[in-house]
Amino acid sequence: MAGASPVLEDDSVLSRLDRGLLRVERLMGLVAGLAIFSLMLLAVRSVGGRVTLNAPLMGYVDFIEQLMPLIAILAVSFAQRDGTHIRMDLLVENLRGRALWLFELISVLLILMLMLFLIWGSWAHFQRSFDLGAPWWSRDSTTDIAMPIWPAKLLVPVAFSVLALRLLIQIYGFARALVLGLEKPVAVPMVLDAAAQAAAEAKALEEEEEQERANGPD
Amino acid sequence: MDPIEIGLWVTGGLLVMVLMGMRVAFAAALAGLVGLLLIFWSRRGFDPEHFGWAITVAAKTAGQVPHSKVASQSLSLIPTFILIGYLAYYAGLTKALFEAAKRWLAWLPGGLAVSTVFATAGFAAVSGASVATAAVFARIAIPEMLKIGYDKRFAAGVVAAGGTLASLIPPSAILVIYAIIVEQDVGKLLLAGFIPGAFSALVYGSLIVGIAMIFKNVGPPVTGFTWGQRFAALPPALPILAVVVIIIFFVYNPFGEKSWGTPTEGGAIGAFIVFCMALYKGMRWSQLKAALLETAKLTVMIFTIIWGVLIYVRFLGFADLPGAFSDWITSLSMSPMLILIMILLAYAVLGMFMDAIGMLLLTLPVVYPAVMALNGGETVSAADSAFGMSGTMCAIWFGILVVKMAEFCLITPPIGLNCFVVAGVRDDLSVQDVFKGVMPFFVADAFTIAGLIAFPQIVLWLPSLA
Amino acid sequence: TEWNVSVWGKRRAFTEHVEKLAELVAEKTDGEFTMNISYGGLSQPKENLDGISIGAFEMAQFCAGYHRDKNRAITVLELPFIGVNTLEEEVAVSHALYEHPAVKEEMAQWNARILMTSPMPQYNLVGVGEPRDTLDSMNGMRVRATGGLGEAFKAVGGVPTSVSAPEAYQAMESGVVDTVAFAQHAHLSFGTINQATWWTANLNPGTVNCPIVVNTDAYEMLSDDEREVLDSSIDESIQHYLDNYAELLARWDDVLEEKGVEKVMISDEELAKFREVAAGPIRDQWIADMSAQGLPAQELYDLVIATLEETRASN
Ligand code: NA
Ligand code: NA
Repeated sequence: MAGASPVLEDDSVLSRLDRGLLRVERLMGLVAGLAIFSLMLLAVRSVGGRVTLNAPLMGYVDFIEQLMPLIAILAVSFAQRDGTHIRMDLLVENLRGRALWLFELISVLLILMLMLFLIWGSWAHFQRSFDLGAPWWSRDSTTDIAMPIWPAKLLVPVAFSVLALRLLIQIYGFARALVLGLEKPVAVPMVLDAAAQAAAEAKALEEEEEQERANGPD
Repeated sequence: MDPIEIGLWVTGGLLVMVLMGMRVAFAAALAGLVGLLLIFWSRRGFDPEHFGWAITVAAKTAGQVPHSKVASQSLSLIPTFILIGYLAYYAGLTKALFEAAKRWLAWLPGGLAVSTVFATAGFAAVSGASVATAAVFARIAIPEMLKIGYDKRFAAGVVAAGGTLASLIPPSAILVIYAIIVEQDVGKLLLAGFIPGAFSALVYGSLIVGIAMIFKNVGPPVTGFTWGQRFAALPPALPILAVVVIIIFFVYNPFGEKSWGTPTEGGAIGAFIVFCMALYKGMRWSQLKAALLETAKLTVMIFTIIWGVLIYVRFLGFADLPGAFSDWITSLSMSPMLILIMILLAYAVLGMFMDAIGMLLLTLPVVYPAVMALNGGETVSAADSAFGMSGTMCAIWFGILVVKMAEFCLITPPIGLNCFVVAGVRDDLSVQDVFKGVMPFFVADAFTIAGLIAFPQIVLWLPSLA
Repeated sequence: TEWNVSVWGKRRAFTEHVEKLAELVAEKTDGEFTMNISYGGLSQPKENLDGISIGAFEMAQFCAGYHRDKNRAITVLELPFIGVNTLEEEVAVSHALYEHPAVKEEMAQWNARILMTSPMPQYNLVGVGEPRDTLDSMNGMRVRATGGLGEAFKAVGGVPTSVSAPEAYQAMESGVVDTVAFAQHAHLSFGTINQATWWTANLNPGTVNCPIVVNTDAYEMLSDDEREVLDSSIDESIQHYLDNYAELLARWDDVLEEKGVEKVMISDEELAKFREVAAGPIRDQWIADMSAQGLPAQELYDLVIATLEETRASN
């Protein structure tokens, strides 16, 4: 369901590309994390200034509005890599082999299609706020301290482009698994398959018996 | 096709994509994009010549949403709440809390389980996310329960259910999301969660005591703590209480009429205090980095659902589906209370298959206006209303009910996020085990929800004071 | 023809001319030309100009101070203490300015054409606790005020803190802001008056400018008849708006009494001090900045003042 799934690795070009992109994604994730952290520091500064010096932070809301896209969007590909984005795996959980890879492939193809349109749309959103002829190149500004908004808007198509690269890797990974009928393809998040679950359950049963033996019959 | 028809087709398509296992956030965004395309194209009579125009407008309209919807000060509460949870874990606060609860409450029948419930309730007051709470206590409380011979499934069920308290007891990410979707006061909603959350914890606790008295093998009481030991356990747990009190005082200053800050600031100050404690406990950069990465990943997961679903909601706005649904609901010749109960039952069914945040985001834009219309509108007075409460109060009451339903869904099969998380943390537990163990708590939740419907004052008393 | 219209909040005095326009247009064309007015369903308030530019909807309302860089030219109307006293004067100066080529050109960048203004009276503060009736007490005050008004409060040590109008009540209750500057209708509609213990009756620092725009392509795609009907209904819509607002203002004192809100009068001395720091310097700064960006700033300002004098003279 939710939560990360394992991504297998080996020495193939595909896997190396996967890990290469992962480095970029981790960096973006860390930047997002630091942005969250600075949200906290910003509040401390704002409250501290207000309480002690009667000098609240000018543009506090503007700063938050500029930080939020970093926090909310930058790591979108990082989460796609290991399948953190939630889904209903009622169906895929019960699929094996080629049938599973087919559904996974359709899913990532649809997401890529969506992303291409959203890169277009979010780029246009950025462009409307960007004007080479204006001071700070700004044609859209925050309300209180008139910071240019275009950098925050530019971040969206950039993050989505990284996601599109990630999706290309996953499309290739799933397509390869589909064509070759692979059991354990690299570079794509694995569904925790029935085998793993059965193993876990078997282990659990064993323990239960052990425990019963230890406790004796009631 | 008229807009309503387009709305129904696109919604059907969305369900198919979700069922076939597409990531919910992207499925919703794609449905919204296609829906916008159809709406715009329909306005040019589906003329093939105007398809290019329609797709351009749809892409650009959808492309606005990710930036413009997440750049919001009230949504900044969500990452802060998630960060607090992770930092509190590194600061060792959760363990201390559990230890104190154990020494004070474990003498009861099923005592360790009761302690777990109340420790999760305490932790809920600093944690905004149910899933994080369940994950943390799966690590801390389950081993202790197993050590003294608790039924494994039951122990897991207690933790999965206890985790849900985090979303009722403020701070709560999901209450913030509700407030944002329905444009209601975040502060009042958070306040409204207190008593229902405590009420839930009491119901869980009584249920455990009852079960332990009937089935003797479920979990023995733990006795023998001296009063000295009990009081000795308090100081390490005190910091968490201090954080709770600071956040609460911050937002609902009891000493004067003006609060010291906003919920956003209160959350951030709480995070900062916990951060300082974690530093004091010797947290290293590598641990902070891990916490930040985890926080970032969970945050982006939630926000992707938010903007994805809001693209779909933007399409609903153009199709005017909420208006149509609201008209339909108010035209039904059933009692409003019956309709409300049916809506909540529909949530229970839907929640079996969806995660809480996605479910709220997808349904509330349509359901909330209908419920408000059912009560008599946003501005209705208590006297003229169907449920005997003003429009604002109805928004709060329905919010708590819906969030409680959403929390209920976190522990129901087949997609109960908390149960998956508990099973994920513990190698020795399968998801099926956790679902079996959590089943008694369905009864408790049904009882709690019935209580909140029958006695709205449980929800509304505190916010009506504010 | 069916048009989508994007506004925000809920139906209130501020949107009455849009409602009236929709009604008139539908009536005069026997339902051939209709307008769907959506309160927040189609866009965020700050993205309405973007939506017009895209062509997502055909008509929208926006306020200049929300995003100065999107609409530099018309921010002249948001300069503090510009001297507009009545809604009629507000209409006259706005509509004269909207005809200026610099304004038209800037709107053309958004594929937009201004149809009419949403005239508003002077913004005044509401707050809780001790009234902020001196410049000293405004030092460090977090005030919800956008555009030139925000600049004015900044000049006396205030901290403009913007939240969108629908969030203002919540911002005030939760302490994000200490005071909110709104026109009377908005204090009513967004509930800030219910929070308040006082209202400044005579601060009158200025107001915001919120035009109604249409997408140029959509406007040109109308049949000649439809366009004629639309254009000829504007004056009547504005008149309806003015009548409606006049009623609201007539009721205002009763509202204050009913809600137990104190009417704070600021001394002439304090007002003069406020004007001195906020009026001249901010205007000069604005003219310098906008000239540097290639706008005929002085010309725009002079046009506003000349129109204002003309309007007064003709009455
Ligand atoms: Na909580
Ligand atoms: Na569920």
